[in-house]
Amino acid sequence: MTSATDNQNPSLDEISQTLAKMVADKMDIDIATIKPESTLEELGLDSLDTFDLIFNAEDYFHIKVPNDQVNISTLQDVSTLVQRLIIEQKK
Amino acid sequence: MTDSSHQRVVITGLSVVSPLGNTIADLTQNVFAGVSGIKRLDTPFADQLDCKIAAQAQFNPADHFSKHAYSMLDRTSQMALHTSIEAVKDANLVISDALKPRMGIYLGTGMGGSHSIEEGYVRLYKEGLSRLKPFTVLMSMNNAAASAIASEHQLTGPNQTFSTACSSSAVAIGEAARLIRHGYVDVMLAGGAEALLTFGTIKAWEALRTLAEEDSNATGASCKPFSADRTGMVLGEGSAMVVLESLAHATTRGATIYAEIAGYGTANDSDHITQPSVIGQSATILAALKDADLPPNTIQYINAHGTGTLLNDTTESNAIKNVFGSHAYDLSVSSTKSMHGHLMGAAGALEAVITVLAQRNNQLPPTINLVNPDPECDLDYVPNVAKSLPKLEYAMSNSFAFGGTGASLIFRKFN
Repeated sequence: MTSATDNQNPSLDEISQTLAKMVADKMDIDIATIKPESTLEELGLDSLDTFDLIFNAEDYFHIKVPNDQVNISTLQDVSTLVQRLIIEQKK
Repeated sequence: MTDSSHQRVVITGLSVVSPLGNTIADLTQNVFAGVSGIKRLDTPFADQLDCKIAAQAQFNPADHFSKHAYSMLDRTSQMALHTSIEAVKDANLVISDALKPRMGIYLGTGMGGSHSIEEGYVRLYKEGLSRLKPFTVLMSMNNAAASAIASEHQLTGPNQTFSTACSSSAVAIGEAARLIRHGYVDVMLAGGAEALLTFGTIKAWEALRTLAEEDSNATGASCKPFSADRTGMVLGEGSAMVVLESLAHATTRGATIYAEIAGYGTANDSDHITQPSVIGQSATILAALKDADLPPNTIQYINAHGTGTLLNDTTESNAIKNVFGSHAYDLSVSSTKSMHGHLMGAAGALEAVITVLAQRNNQLPPTINLVNPDPECDLDYVPNVAKSLPKLEYAMSNSFAFGGTGASLIFRKFN
């Protein structure tokens, strides 16, 4: 899971699935337990883990998450943010 | 450390990750059998090295930690955290809420998170990427390992990292013992960790022209301290940890006591960053003897710094003769680095553990590969085969370093 070169316009669901895989891999948890509405805290991520997740998402989706937009609570929040930045930063 | 107003300090837990094994049982078996942990370096970049040998520790973090836990730790911290957990287990120590503020961690490391810093540079300079991983600072900083240990055991007492190159962990143990002796804390984890077998770090060591050539007959025989045919030192990696506690604390909880720390001394070579000095090393040894309030002729065994470089071997031998006089020829000296290589920041702690094991097992570990003695080195270096010594009451472990900081620890057999 290094880059989203095959799909330039991933759907929210595809983004969500990719992020869930990243979280499952990082936290060593069953992906089936991860729901979009799960908070990152519930999934065991602390602030540093969240930075790491965002870092990996930036690499994968070729986006740059500004420092003032990392205040996110749920996995859904991350997915929405990623989708918005993909569209914005493609311009 | 004999002032009656001070606490006596004892060792109640031991643990290692080392080129001679990752348990005290394996280390004991190998170090007294004269087994070498020096091998061809098992890594993809070995072909690009002039020096292709090292003393690697067989340590897989996945055997001990969750992926989430170990992926945020440099190899140095992974090994240190593991030995801290095992040392506490070995000491049968329950870290109660009451003990937490009375217990701390002092750790020695020379180069901290070498792997993490180098991985970062590879991303930037080789792969052309523009960003580093978010954990790079936290994984590579020198105090990362001690911090991980303090968090794991929830220690709220002192947490400090000593970085004095090859003497780092001997200093950590000595300074931790002083904390207990003066009553600041009751228990300390103390030791060292080093994992610097990276491409860049080995290249840097190659440039210093101190690394041993591979022995053409047997790779394991490449490190030859005190030998006329020595070619240098061999880099190693690992971690060693001890649990130190006040004698009162240990006896109250009925702990098994391995040995007492009778004395600790540190002094500095002040004239050159790499060249050791007889004066500096003598001052270090004398400081430990004074601290222990022991006359020189009580020391029966010295685990030498013994790197296997010409300068180290002759200087250390001369310092021992300078301090001990004719007794230098009665006591025994050995360099276990001939077997486990030079663990740098973890060397002093590993050799402290081995010195305690010598007392526990009533035998002295050998200096292996000592077939052609250097005439300039004329002490008893316990050549090639372990030697029985039934009443090893006082033993010393020496550590000397690039940068000049020397540390000597004296261990008393605990009866």
